[in-house]
Amino acid sequence: MGRFVVGIERTAHTFSVAVASREGKILSDVREVYTPPEGSGIHPYLASLSHVKAAPRVLRDALLTSGVAQGDIDAVAYSMGPGLGPCLRVGAVVARTLALSLAKPIVPVNHAIGHIELGCLLTATEDPLVLLVSGGHSMVVAFSYGRWRVLGETLDLTLGQLLDQFGRHAGLSSPCGMQVERAASMSSRFIPLPYTVKGNDVSFSGILTTAKRLLDGGEGFGDICFSIQETAFAMMVEVTERALAFTGKKEVMIVGGVAANRRLARMMELMTRRHSASFHVVPLRFSGDCGSQIAWTGHLAHSKGVTTSVEEASTRQSWRLDQVDVPWRE
Amino acid sequence: MRSEVGEGGTRVIYRGAEADLLRGRWCGLDAVFKFRRPFEYRLKLLDDAIRRQRTAREAEMIHDAKRSGARTPLLYFVDPANALIVMQWMKGRRLKEAVSSLPLEELERVFAELGGEVARLHASGIMHGDLTTSNVLLDNVDDKSNDKELTLIDFGLAIRTTRLEDRAVDLRLAKETLTGAHSEVASKAYAALLEGYGGEVGPGEVRDVTRQVAEIERRGRYARVE
Repeated sequence: MGRFVVGIERTAHTFSVAVASREGKILSDVREVYTPPEGSGIHPYLASLSHVKAAPRVLRDALLTSGVAQGDIDAVAYSMGPGLGPCLRVGAVVARTLALSLAKPIVPVNHAIGHIELGCLLTATEDPLVLLVSGGHSMVVAFSYGRWRVLGETLDLTLGQLLDQFGRHAGLSSPCGMQVERAASMSSRFIPLPYTVKGNDVSFSGILTTAKRLLDGGEGFGDICFSIQETAFAMMVEVTERALAFTGKKEVMIVGGVAANRRLARMMELMTRRHSASFHVVPLRFSGDCGSQIAWTGHLAHSKGVTTSVEEASTRQSWRLDQVDVPWRE
Repeated sequence: MRSEVGEGGTRVIYRGAEADLLRGRWCGLDAVFKFRRPFEYRLKLLDDAIRRQRTAREAEMIHDAKRSGARTPLLYFVDPANALIVMQWMKGRRLKEAVSSLPLEELERVFAELGGEVARLHASGIMHGDLTTSNVLLDNVDDKSNDKELTLIDFGLAIRTTRLEDRAVDLRLAKETLTGAHSEVASKAYAALLEGYGGEVGPGEVRDVTRQVAEIERRGRYARVE
């Protein structure tokens, strides 16, 4: 009888393999991050090529450093989606190969749910209202009746895309979140940008268009970064607060790559303080894409008998988290 | 909020995400004081502008909605600079709190009525902008003999529009709230809402608007059909 699950994450720029124990201990988490040239975004095909090369080393390192014997492995979990097609397929191939060679069951995991469940594990939250902010998602989510339910989301760009696309317009290389944050921290000059909240939902496209135009018109990069953060984050926090007031949840958690932004976390904390809810940020090392989110969620799913056959272990580029049954909760 | 605004005896009855509601007297009338409180997390410059704008917007749109025949509170006093609206006190419970206790048949009747109300707003060029079950008051909830009376509140995100897209955004939010927070009755409640909507504007219009709702959902992240 095994005790560990191997998780393979491969949805966008990160290829990562991790090993997690049933008790929620992360034994290894090895990553290879594809960096596109300055000024451009992820090219899905080129990203997948770079990861095909890295795959054997990442896989070997993750398995070796975990110190786990093959016989102790329960299952092989992989990110089935959502994400970029070519990248997902590399992950699925690696997962099928590993599952076949180890003769272990294969567990499909929804990448977004992976972020959430790993966050719950690491912040010791049980039933949080979740703000999931990354390159692929900007969503407010809570668990109810067997599924993670969306209570608000972006209608167009994600926060990650907004920061990235603006950064790239200024000649930076993706991901640009950290550089935007640094530039923003050096300014306090606010330039008004479109503040678009539609009920529970937000729209960031107006901010991006205006910000690019301001940069082309000679406004300072730092001032625009500051204004983007203040506007876009406030919108996201506002809809999170609406969902918090509506659901009355007692815990609030922020996960995903943009959770690494300290200004956003600070705003969330200030908002949460007014409600009788505790506030949690996923640890920096696990905010971005990683194998651990797949390994841990793979374990949860596997413990309830969620597996698939090698033939069925395909990919789903479009796979919203609210379409996934979650039998391991409640 | 300063206590001298009312005529004494003002008390907080609700703390929402955006505003605090206080109940008190205004020129001898039973009134609600809606105060959009400052958000600590938001830059003051931005925060002041948003609260001022939404207060003015809400007052204007309540006025317009009332003229279109919708059941909304009467406005008594508006002070955008201080983000304050004083309006008529309305009896009733939030639909959100009533949803789980209503028998299915009642629930469907209530949502059909809500659909009709929304359709009338739309037909007169108003999009509510915030159609959650928190923003509908339901009167006579516990009275089995009477029809339930609906009041629409919170017009802070409402706009004047006749675009199909905006009408669909309104309905999609209602749908999102139902699926997200009232999953157990979501599909029946939403179907009743559409039926009520169609009863007011006709089947052709309801077909167009639901098609647009589907279109908006398809635009959602990772929702496109593979």
